[in-house]
Amino acid sequence: MRLSQQSQTIIHQAVLRRFGDRAQVRLFGSRLDDSAKGGDIDLHVRVQGEVDNPIWEASLLAVQLQRQLDGRKVDIRLLDEMHDVLPVDEVALSQGILLA
Amino acid sequence: MTTRTHSLKNKLSTGDRERLSGLLKTAQAELMHLQQTDQRLFDSPFSPEDLVLRLREIDFSERVDAFVARFGRLQDLLGDKFLPAWLKAMEEGVGAVLENLDRAEKLGLIEGADDWLAVRKLRNLMVHEYIDRAETLHMALYSAHEHVAMLAQAVERFRVRTLPLVD
Repeated sequence: MRLSQQSQTIIHQAVLRRFGDRAQVRLFGSRLDDSAKGGDIDLHVRVQGEVDNPIWEASLLAVQLQRQLDGRKVDIRLLDEMHDVLPVDEVALSQGILLA
Repeated sequence: MTTRTHSLKNKLSTGDRERLSGLLKTAQAELMHLQQTDQRLFDSPFSPEDLVLRLREIDFSERVDAFVARFGRLQDLLGDKFLPAWLKAMEEGVGAVLENLDRAEKLGLIEGADDWLAVRKLRNLMVHEYIDRAETLHMALYSAHEHVAMLAQAVERFRVRTLPLVD
Protein backbone atom coordinates (compact mmCIF):
# COMPACT_ATOMS: atom_id res chain seq x y z
CA MET A 1 0.00 0.00 0.00
CA ARG A 2 1.37 3.40 -0.97
CA LEU A 3 -0.04 5.72 1.66
CA SER A 4 1.94 7.11 4.57
CA GLN A 5 0.94 6.27 8.11
CA GLN A 6 0.22 9.96 8.63
CA SER A 7 -2.16 10.09 5.65
CA GLN A 8 -3.90 6.95 6.86
CA THR A 9 -4.44 8.53 10.25
CA ILE A 10 -5.78 11.76 8.70
CA ILE A 11 -8.26 9.74 6.61
CA HIS A 12 -9.35 7.53 9.47
CA GLN A 13 -9.88 10.51 11.78
CA ALA A 14 -11.88 12.42 9.18
CA VAL A 15 -14.19 9.46 8.56
CA LEU A 16 -14.60 8.91 12.29
CA ARG A 17 -15.49 12.57 12.84
CA ARG A 18 -18.08 12.50 10.09
CA PHE A 19 -19.75 9.15 10.67
CA GLY A 20 -18.59 7.96 14.07
CA ASP A 21 -17.72 4.33 14.68
CA ARG A 22 -20.44 3.03 12.36
CA ALA A 23 -18.11 3.56 9.39
CA GLN A 24 -15.24 1.58 7.93
CA VAL A 25 -12.83 3.09 5.43
CA ARG A 26 -10.78 1.11 2.93
CA LEU A 27 -8.09 2.06 0.49
CA PHE A 28 -8.48 0.45 -2.92
CA GLY A 29 -7.44 1.09 -6.52
CA SER A 30 -4.01 2.02 -7.84
CA ARG A 31 -2.53 2.96 -4.46
CA LEU A 32 -2.59 -0.71 -3.48
CA ASP A 33 -0.06 -1.43 -6.21
CA ASP A 34 3.40 -0.96 -4.69
CA SER A 35 5.11 -0.86 -8.08
CA ALA A 36 2.98 2.02 -9.43
CA LYS A 37 3.64 5.70 -8.79
CA GLY A 38 1.40 8.57 -7.69
CA GLY A 39 -2.24 8.27 -8.63
CA ASP A 40 -5.55 9.21 -7.08
CA ILE A 41 -6.43 8.05 -3.60
CA ASP A 42 -9.50 5.82 -3.96
CA LEU A 43 -11.38 5.30 -0.74
CA HIS A 44 -14.37 3.16 0.04
CA VAL A 45 -16.46 4.09 3.05
CA ARG A 46 -19.06 1.64 4.31
CA VAL A 47 -21.54 3.04 6.80
CA GLN A 48 -23.96 1.04 8.92
CA GLY A 49 -27.52 2.31 8.70
CA GLU A 50 -28.59 5.10 6.39
CA VAL A 51 -26.75 8.15 5.12
CA ASP A 52 -28.79 11.04 3.82
CA ASN A 53 -27.58 11.75 0.28
CA PRO A 54 -24.45 9.55 0.29
CA ILE A 55 -22.94 10.93 -2.89
CA TRP A 56 -23.03 14.50 -1.57
CA GLU A 57 -21.48 13.36 1.73
CA ALA A 58 -18.82 11.46 -0.21
CA SER A 59 -17.98 14.46 -2.43
CA LEU A 60 -17.72 16.82 0.52
CA LEU A 61 -15.53 14.44 2.50
CA ALA A 62 -13.29 13.93 -0.56
CA VAL A 63 -12.84 17.69 -0.94
CA GLN A 64 -11.97 18.12 2.73
CA LEU A 65 -9.47 15.26 2.60
CA GLN A 66 -7.88 16.72 -0.53
CA ARG A 67 -7.13 19.83 1.49
CA GLN A 68 -5.69 17.86 4.38
CA LEU A 69 -3.63 15.66 2.05
CA ASP A 70 -1.91 18.56 0.28
CA GLY A 71 -4.14 18.64 -2.78
CA ARG A 72 -3.76 15.01 -3.78
CA LYS A 73 -6.87 13.88 -5.62
CA VAL A 74 -9.22 11.83 -3.47
CA ASP A 75 -12.20 9.86 -4.77
CA ILE A 76 -14.69 8.37 -2.36
CA ARG A 77 -17.35 5.77 -2.89
CA LEU A 78 -19.77 5.64 0.03
CA LEU A 79 -22.03 2.67 0.65
CA ASP A 80 -24.74 2.67 3.27
CA GLU A 81 -27.27 -0.06 3.99
CA MET A 82 -30.10 1.59 2.07
CA HIS A 83 -28.57 1.72 -1.38
CA ASP A 84 -27.64 -0.81 -4.05
CA VAL A 85 -24.30 -2.60 -3.84
CA LEU A 86 -22.46 -1.90 -7.09
CA PRO A 87 -19.58 -3.84 -8.66
CA VAL A 88 -17.20 -1.13 -7.40
CA ASP A 89 -18.33 -1.91 -3.84
CA GLU A 90 -17.65 -5.61 -4.28
CA VAL A 91 -14.15 -4.92 -5.59
CA ALA A 92 -13.35 -2.46 -2.80
CA LEU A 93 -14.74 -4.67 -0.04
CA SER A 94 -12.89 -7.77 -1.21
CA GLN A 95 -9.56 -6.20 -2.25
CA GLY A 96 -9.38 -2.98 -0.24
CA ILE A 97 -7.26 -2.58 2.86
CA LEU A 98 -9.02 -1.43 6.00
CA LEU A 99 -7.53 1.79 7.40
CA ALA A 100 -7.54 1.97 11.17
CA MET B 1 -18.21 53.80 -6.08
CA THR B 2 -15.37 53.54 -3.59
CA THR B 3 -12.08 55.30 -4.28
CA ARG B 4 -10.37 51.94 -4.53
CA THR B 5 -12.82 50.60 -7.11
CA HIS B 6 -12.46 53.85 -9.04
CA SER B 7 -8.70 53.61 -9.12
CA LEU B 8 -8.82 49.91 -10.08
CA LYS B 9 -11.26 50.72 -12.86
CA ASN B 10 -8.93 53.36 -14.26
CA LYS B 11 -6.08 50.87 -14.38
CA LEU B 12 -8.05 48.48 -16.59
CA SER B 13 -7.49 48.61 -20.33
CA THR B 14 -10.48 48.79 -22.67
CA GLY B 15 -9.76 45.16 -23.51
CA ASP B 16 -9.86 44.15 -19.82
CA ARG B 17 -13.17 45.90 -19.35
CA GLU B 18 -14.65 44.35 -22.46
CA ARG B 19 -13.53 40.93 -21.32
CA LEU B 20 -15.11 41.35 -17.88
CA SER B 21 -18.34 42.68 -19.25
CA GLY B 22 -18.41 39.90 -21.87
CA LEU B 23 -17.90 37.29 -19.14
CA LEU B 24 -20.73 38.80 -17.13
CA LYS B 25 -23.11 38.74 -20.10
CA THR B 26 -22.19 35.14 -20.87
CA ALA B 27 -22.66 34.08 -17.25
CA GLN B 28 -26.09 35.71 -17.13
CA ALA B 29 -27.15 34.05 -20.39
CA GLU B 30 -25.86 30.66 -19.26
CA LEU B 31 -27.67 31.02 -15.94
CA MET B 32 -30.91 31.78 -17.72
CA HIS B 33 -30.51 28.69 -19.88
CA LEU B 34 -29.65 26.54 -16.87
CA GLN B 35 -32.68 27.77 -14.95
CA GLN B 36 -34.95 27.04 -17.91
CA THR B 37 -33.75 23.45 -18.21
CA ASP B 38 -33.77 23.05 -14.43
CA GLN B 39 -37.41 24.02 -14.37
CA ARG B 40 -38.35 21.72 -17.23
CA LEU B 41 -36.44 18.73 -15.89
CA PHE B 42 -37.52 18.91 -12.25
CA ASP B 43 -40.99 20.25 -12.92
CA SER B 44 -42.52 16.93 -11.83
CA PRO B 45 -40.45 14.92 -9.33
CA PHE B 46 -39.06 11.55 -10.44
CA SER B 47 -37.82 8.52 -8.51
CA PRO B 48 -34.76 6.44 -9.51
CA GLU B 49 -37.19 3.94 -11.08
CA ASP B 50 -38.95 6.70 -13.03
CA LEU B 51 -35.56 7.91 -14.19
CA VAL B 52 -34.72 4.55 -15.78
CA LEU B 53 -38.04 4.48 -17.62
CA ARG B 54 -38.08 8.12 -18.62
CA LEU B 55 -34.52 8.11 -19.99
CA ARG B 56 -35.97 6.07 -22.85
CA GLU B 57 -37.98 9.12 -23.91
CA ILE B 58 -35.86 11.26 -26.19
CA ASP B 59 -37.27 14.49 -24.81
CA PHE B 60 -36.52 13.64 -21.19
CA SER B 61 -33.09 12.24 -21.95
CA GLU B 62 -32.22 15.41 -23.85
CA ARG B 63 -33.31 17.51 -20.88
CA VAL B 64 -30.98 15.54 -18.63
CA ASP B 65 -28.12 16.09 -21.05
CA ALA B 66 -28.88 19.79 -21.35
CA PHE B 67 -29.09 20.20 -17.59
CA VAL B 68 -25.76 18.45 -17.00
CA ALA B 69 -24.04 20.40 -19.78
CA ARG B 70 -25.43 23.77 -18.77
CA PHE B 71 -24.71 23.24 -15.10
CA GLY B 72 -21.11 22.30 -15.86
CA ARG B 73 -20.59 25.06 -18.37
CA LEU B 74 -21.75 27.79 -15.99
CA GLN B 75 -19.79 26.49 -13.02
CA ASP B 76 -16.62 26.24 -15.10
CA LEU B 77 -17.15 29.69 -16.60
CA LEU B 78 -17.51 31.23 -13.14
CA GLY B 79 -14.71 29.33 -11.44
CA ASP B 80 -12.14 28.95 -14.20
CA LYS B 81 -12.62 32.11 -16.28
CA PHE B 82 -14.65 34.80 -14.54
CA LEU B 83 -13.11 34.41 -11.10
CA PRO B 84 -9.46 34.64 -12.25
CA ALA B 85 -10.31 37.63 -14.50
CA TRP B 86 -12.12 39.38 -11.66
CA LEU B 87 -9.35 38.67 -9.12
CA LYS B 88 -6.82 40.06 -11.57
CA ALA B 89 -8.86 43.23 -12.08
CA MET B 90 -9.14 43.61 -8.30
CA GLU B 91 -5.38 43.08 -7.95
CA GLU B 92 -6.09 40.21 -5.59
CA GLY B 93 -3.57 37.84 -7.09
CA VAL B 94 -4.49 34.82 -9.15
CA GLY B 95 -3.39 31.33 -8.14
CA ALA B 96 -4.46 27.72 -8.44
CA VAL B 97 -8.15 26.79 -8.46
CA LEU B 98 -8.34 26.05 -4.74
CA GLU B 99 -6.55 29.28 -3.82
CA ASN B 100 -8.87 31.33 -6.02
CA LEU B 101 -11.97 29.72 -4.56
CA ASP B 102 -10.78 30.29 -0.99
CA ARG B 103 -10.18 33.92 -1.87
CA ALA B 104 -13.62 34.16 -3.47
CA GLU B 105 -15.16 32.77 -0.28
CA LYS B 106 -13.25 35.23 1.87
CA LEU B 107 -14.35 38.12 -0.35
CA GLY B 108 -17.96 36.93 -0.23
CA LEU B 109 -18.26 36.07 -3.93
CA ILE B 110 -19.18 32.46 -3.21
CA GLU B 111 -20.72 30.94 -0.11
CA GLY B 112 -18.31 28.04 0.47
CA ALA B 113 -15.25 26.87 -1.45
CA ASP B 114 -15.71 23.28 -0.21
CA ASP B 115 -19.31 23.13 -1.39
CA TRP B 116 -18.25 24.55 -4.75
CA LEU B 117 -15.60 21.85 -5.15
CA ALA B 118 -17.91 19.07 -3.93
CA VAL B 119 -20.46 20.06 -6.57
CA ARG B 120 -17.73 19.90 -9.18
CA LYS B 121 -16.82 16.44 -7.97
CA LEU B 122 -20.32 15.06 -8.13
CA ARG B 123 -20.75 16.37 -11.67
CA ASN B 124 -18.65 13.40 -12.74
CA LEU B 125 -21.45 11.13 -11.55
CA MET B 126 -24.05 12.76 -13.76
CA VAL B 127 -23.51 10.54 -16.75
CA HIS B 128 -26.18 8.12 -17.72
CA GLU B 129 -24.38 5.56 -19.79
CA TYR B 130 -24.76 2.98 -17.06
CA ILE B 131 -28.34 2.27 -16.25
CA ASP B 132 -27.28 0.00 -13.35
CA ARG B 133 -26.20 3.16 -11.60
CA ALA B 134 -29.58 4.87 -11.90
CA GLU B 135 -29.66 5.45 -8.16
CA THR B 136 -26.33 7.27 -8.28
CA LEU B 137 -27.35 9.33 -11.30
CA HIS B 138 -30.60 10.17 -9.55
CA MET B 139 -28.85 11.41 -6.41
CA ALA B 140 -26.31 13.37 -8.44
CA LEU B 141 -29.02 15.09 -10.51
CA TYR B 142 -31.01 16.07 -7.43
CA SER B 143 -27.90 17.30 -5.61
CA ALA B 144 -27.02 19.47 -8.60
CA HIS B 145 -30.62 20.68 -8.77
CA GLU B 146 -30.31 21.82 -5.14
CA HIS B 147 -27.19 23.77 -6.07
CA VAL B 148 -28.58 25.73 -9.01
CA ALA B 149 -29.36 28.42 -6.43
CA MET B 150 -25.69 28.46 -5.40
CA LEU B 151 -24.68 29.24 -8.99
CA ALA B 152 -27.44 31.85 -9.33
CA GLN B 153 -26.26 33.55 -6.16
CA ALA B 154 -22.67 33.57 -7.43
CA VAL B 155 -23.73 35.14 -10.76
CA GLU B 156 -25.59 37.86 -8.87
CA ARG B 157 -22.59 38.61 -6.65
CA PHE B 158 -20.25 38.68 -9.66
CA ARG B 159 -22.67 41.11 -11.33
CA VAL B 160 -22.79 43.48 -8.38
CA ARG B 161 -19.01 43.53 -8.09
CA THR B 162 -18.19 43.65 -11.77
CA LEU B 163 -20.53 46.42 -12.91
CA PRO B 164 -18.63 49.20 -11.06
CA LEU B 165 -15.47 48.12 -12.88
CA VAL B 166 -16.93 48.16 -16.38
CA ASP B 167 -19.69 50.80 -16.39
